[in-house]
Amino acid sequence: MSVAETESRSSNTARSAVCEGNEAAAIGVALARPDVVAVYPITPQSSLVEHLSQMIADGRLDADLLNVEGEHSVLCGLQGAALAGGRTFTATCGPGIAFMFEPYVRTPGLRLPMVASLVTRDMLTPQCVWGGQQDAMVVREAGWIQMHCETVQEILDTTVMAYKIAEHRDVMLPVNVCHDGNYLSFGVTRVEIPDARAAEEFLGPASINWHVALDPARPMGVDPLTGGSGGVGPKTFVRYRKGQCRGMQNALRVIRETHAAWGERFGRYHAPLIEEYRLDDAKYALITIGSMSGAAKDAVDTARAAGEAVGLVRVKTFRPFPVEAMTAALAKVERVGVIDRSVSFGWNAGPVYQETLGALYHTGRPVPAISFIGGLAGADLTAEHFARAIAITRELAWDGRPREPIWLNEND
Amino acid sequence: MHSKYLVLGSSHAALEAATAIRFHDMEGTVTVLTRDSRLPYSPTILPYVVSGRAKPDTVVLRDEAWFNENRIAFVPDATVVAVDPAQSSLRLESSKSWTYERLLVATGATPALPPIEGLADFPFHVLRSMDDAIDLKAAIGAAKSAIVLGAGLIGMHAAENMAKAGIEVTVLELQPHALSGYFEPRASTIIEDVFERNGVRMRMGHTLASVDSQGDGCVATLNDGREIAADLLLVCVGVKPNLGFLDGSGVDVESGILVDDNMRTSQPNVWAAGDVAQARGFWGGMVTNGILPNAAEQGRIAGLDMADDSGLAPFPGAVPLNTYSFFGQQAISVGIARADEGCEIAESGDDANGVYRRIVLKDGRLVGITTINDFVDAGIMWRLIRRRTDLTPVKAAFLADPRTTGRKLMSRDWR
Amino acid sequence: MGTCFSTLQFRANRCDGCGDCMTACVQAKSSNGDGAQSRIRILPAAAGTGYELALCRQCADPICVMNCPSGALAKNGTSGIVEWEADACVNCLLCTAGCTYAGIVYEADIGHVTKCDLCAGDPACAKACKNGALEYRTEARIFNAYGDKEDLFCRGLSACHGCNSELLIRHTMRVVGPDAVVAAPPGCIPGMGVVGFNGQTGAKVPVFHSLLTNTATMLAGVKKQYDRVGRKVTAIALAGDGGAADAGFQSLSGAAERNDPILFVCVDNEGYMNTGMQSSGVTPYGSWTTTTPVGGAMHGKRTEAKNLPLIMTMHNCSYVATASTAFLEDYYAKLAKAIEAAATGMAYLHVYAPCPTGWRFPSSMTAEVCRMQVRTNFVALWEYDPHNGLQFTHAVDNPEPVENYLKLVGKYRHLSGEQVAHIQRSVDDKLAYLQQLTRADAHRRIA
Repeated sequence: MSVAETESRSSNTARSAVCEGNEAAAIGVALARPDVVAVYPITPQSSLVEHLSQMIADGRLDADLLNVEGEHSVLCGLQGAALAGGRTFTATCGPGIAFMFEPYVRTPGLRLPMVASLVTRDMLTPQCVWGGQQDAMVVREAGWIQMHCETVQEILDTTVMAYKIAEHRDVMLPVNVCHDGNYLSFGVTRVEIPDARAAEEFLGPASINWHVALDPARPMGVDPLTGGSGGVGPKTFVRYRKGQCRGMQNALRVIRETHAAWGERFGRYHAPLIEEYRLDDAKYALITIGSMSGAAKDAVDTARAAGEAVGLVRVKTFRPFPVEAMTAALAKVERVGVIDRSVSFGWNAGPVYQETLGALYHTGRPVPAISFIGGLAGADLTAEHFARAIAITRELAWDGRPREPIWLNEND
Repeated sequence: MHSKYLVLGSSHAALEAATAIRFHDMEGTVTVLTRDSRLPYSPTILPYVVSGRAKPDTVVLRDEAWFNENRIAFVPDATVVAVDPAQSSLRLESSKSWTYERLLVATGATPALPPIEGLADFPFHVLRSMDDAIDLKAAIGAAKSAIVLGAGLIGMHAAENMAKAGIEVTVLELQPHALSGYFEPRASTIIEDVFERNGVRMRMGHTLASVDSQGDGCVATLNDGREIAADLLLVCVGVKPNLGFLDGSGVDVESGILVDDNMRTSQPNVWAAGDVAQARGFWGGMVTNGILPNAAEQGRIAGLDMADDSGLAPFPGAVPLNTYSFFGQQAISVGIARADEGCEIAESGDDANGVYRRIVLKDGRLVGITTINDFVDAGIMWRLIRRRTDLTPVKAAFLADPRTTGRKLMSRDWR
Repeated sequence: MGTCFSTLQFRANRCDGCGDCMTACVQAKSSNGDGAQSRIRILPAAAGTGYELALCRQCADPICVMNCPSGALAKNGTSGIVEWEADACVNCLLCTAGCTYAGIVYEADIGHVTKCDLCAGDPACAKACKNGALEYRTEARIFNAYGDKEDLFCRGLSACHGCNSELLIRHTMRVVGPDAVVAAPPGCIPGMGVVGFNGQTGAKVPVFHSLLTNTATMLAGVKKQYDRVGRKVTAIALAGDGGAADAGFQSLSGAAERNDPILFVCVDNEGYMNTGMQSSGVTPYGSWTTTTPVGGAMHGKRTEAKNLPLIMTMHNCSYVATASTAFLEDYYAKLAKAIEAAATGMAYLHVYAPCPTGWRFPSSMTAEVCRMQVRTNFVALWEYDPHNGLQFTHAVDNPEPVENYLKLVGKYRHLSGEQVAHIQRSVDDKLAYLQQLTRADAHRRIA
């Protein structure tokens, strides 16, 4: 680990280090002290579980390692451990999450508060191994909480916070802490590492299986056949599904509270749901998600310097979608351009664009909007791309018809 | 004193009843009262005690450990003198009284004593209790000659023992033949011959007119006027149920206590079983008999009924049964030996060599079988009779070889 | 609860009247080579329709004992044997009057009654019987050991008539006990209500409706956590063949490779019976299923079954065994070993589970079908551990032709003679291969 010991800047910061995003995630995981870590390698996530394996091998992390034969088993093993009361972790991406899908969709239904890094990668095919958020978008209706990070520091901090959010009694849902493959996974920056004890205090004791357990001390049948059209089937199924949805809605509050508490304790206030950037006096805005937001903010600054009333909204929490916060932010502007690192095949647009349209409905007014799609399969999104997006967004006018998306890397 | 279940007697019927009660009712108190002062034994064993083949202390049917294990109280030296079903109580000779919820009378029988002049003045022997057996064994050791009055099973066993002990024995029997309750004349004759050959004088059709004490012994005068001197006199002309203590109890009696097929008497909460009971005979009538398997079965039925076991099978009626060993030979008799009208009889044998078989069939079904030195499984024959098994399809085989054929039939039934 | 006893079983249809049992009895019971009489008697049946038996049945409520005036007969409460004591016997023969089976008879030659004493638990007659007509059955030990243990499933599981999976899981969990976590992937076992329906469960132990694909690993995770916190819990899978051999195989293989400390019981009914009798990877050649139907162009399954238990031995399991519910003692012995092995490593039990509904045979015939699988070597019973290698536990030396098994089962009704011959060859080949392995392992053990 490329950690440079430095002087503590506050009582709750043990040290700082210079590391890649994957290692930052591993450091965050270690601070959460999981019981069982399941590993299976896949680019661009592999170094994350390698870091964790090394920590366990070195005795720096007291967790049990489950070396399994594929992502499907990764999640199944962790489900078992969680049902037995263990705090768990794993990481995956792209084809891995596709293979994991069967247990993946089941985890939120079991209300298991797992945390897994989703080091986003574009989906096959074409065959590719590079970043892109198609994987996260494919599983957006699986019921996991998704928080997309912008920086390496945010990865570290959010990974720790994710456990507190997942295990909150009003939530009890799994969390994917998403960071972009390549850009964040391998991007090296300086991070500050919270003091282990302070992180432990912040999280409190693990609270995993009080509600559902495979425990001879309190036997229960976990996940009997439920539903059907007769008897208590329909209402029983509805009770579970509705509860899951309520957990997701509760998560919006819990995410905010957790981020506030984190800021209070560690001095770093991350945007919990969405981040508004130079939005208050903006006439129009870009909507971004993930690591692209840095370059986008630079482009906004440049445009502002040129007198453009442009702002930016970064979506941090994509699931549950922060409709209220988004609506409030969008109410401030008259035009929006949404930049996606993935596509919605159904809408000929980006998924974040599509979600933004949903939030715009609640503003009660017609707002011209456009979808930009860029950064697929590892392609670069530069300030120039965002400048183009700003220029196009500025010119939008309401015509009541869907627009073709702009493919930002089409001519690169 | 109170016991939920009170069982009078301590032989087979009483013990099977107590066992059955406990099998069904794990909680209710069970008490066995017996006039005897010993742990339970079988009257059937007494001739063998006399012969020395069995020892008094090794023939205990249930020991103290068994009573403790089954939480059944065993009270010896308790002779009942009166029963009051209205009060569900009874009184002992000792004036103690007991109350009960359910009472079983299984007090057995006592030797019948014929009205013989001078008998009361002579210390004659009987054989019904262990003490009798011990006394008789001692007497045999000292005697040179003996008279056995009565050629029933007890008498014949005793005569054999005496003969083997070197005593000059005379057996007197009023009936024309020995063991006439079990065997018909031809079989009896074979048995009598064996006794004669072994030095026992078999005086059939004779009884005693009078007995005079003379020195340590007596002179007995037969009904034909002949006199026989003997050191020892054993009286065994049969047994009769002792019913005196039921006087005034309202329990109906004839030759024994009358019982229905569940062994219930005429009084509520009073049952009777074994030699004291007069129960259905298999071919009709109400009979008392001293047959051990019948007594045990009756006791079992009474116990189950007393404990409200709905699964009990009612008593199907007594079938006479006897297995008798004498001088190393075997006689077996099951069912009725005599032939009624409509019976078919198949007899075979070699009287000179003491081999004999008689099969009595009625309507193609076995009603009786007697063999001497030709072993058949009495249990199988007994069941063929009781089940009224139609032997028509195997009749020839059965008549030729009842043992093997019976075994096959039972094996097939079992499967 | 009472006690059950071992007993001699007589199968009249297998008896050829050779009399070897009687010879063996005489030899066993004769002190000087003569004078002894056989206490077991084989009798030719009246109509020449086989053989009958005269033998003491060691009755539960023996009337011979009830009739004995001398205390010479007693039922031994531990062994169940009705014991006869020569010294106490007075030869009154009243015992013979109590017996319906000629189980205690007077022998004139030796001057007293004789009866079978089961050779103190090792009867010579059964060992002498070449045909399996006499067998000493000791399954009672199972009842005595486990009859009092709690049935860990509720009453009223809705398995089909004649289903032996229900029998199997009830037996299994009685032995495993309540300190267990059960995983039941989709199939007949949850289908009969083991995990439950709409908030109600059929089990009294923690039970999880796992995925067809994940059962082994999921249990490995459960076990990992309990091992971590120092709690002794048996993690057990009650899976069908789909959840083991097909979709479940990767997970199973991974767990086996890691030697994860779980007990995986595969209840092999040779297909997807719960969903309507579709073919699986262990469906045998020639089987009719709804996805390998019989028609003009297809005559049942065209390929062989994969030998999953054998495959499992090629992993790193601590214990692997095959079993049949018709041989419960064999199963119990293996289950005990498997439970022990599963505390620290992977144990895999492959139990053959003929399915009356899906295989088309009468529900009353399940046990017989199970037996015939073994008797024809269609199913071989063996066990494996890394130290001892592969060993047969119930070698069948004179197997019946496989046709005798096939004709019991409706799913093979369409087979041509050629197909039957094919299956016979396949059975022979597989057995020969297993024999090779056992010989190699025996050689290795000696070395």
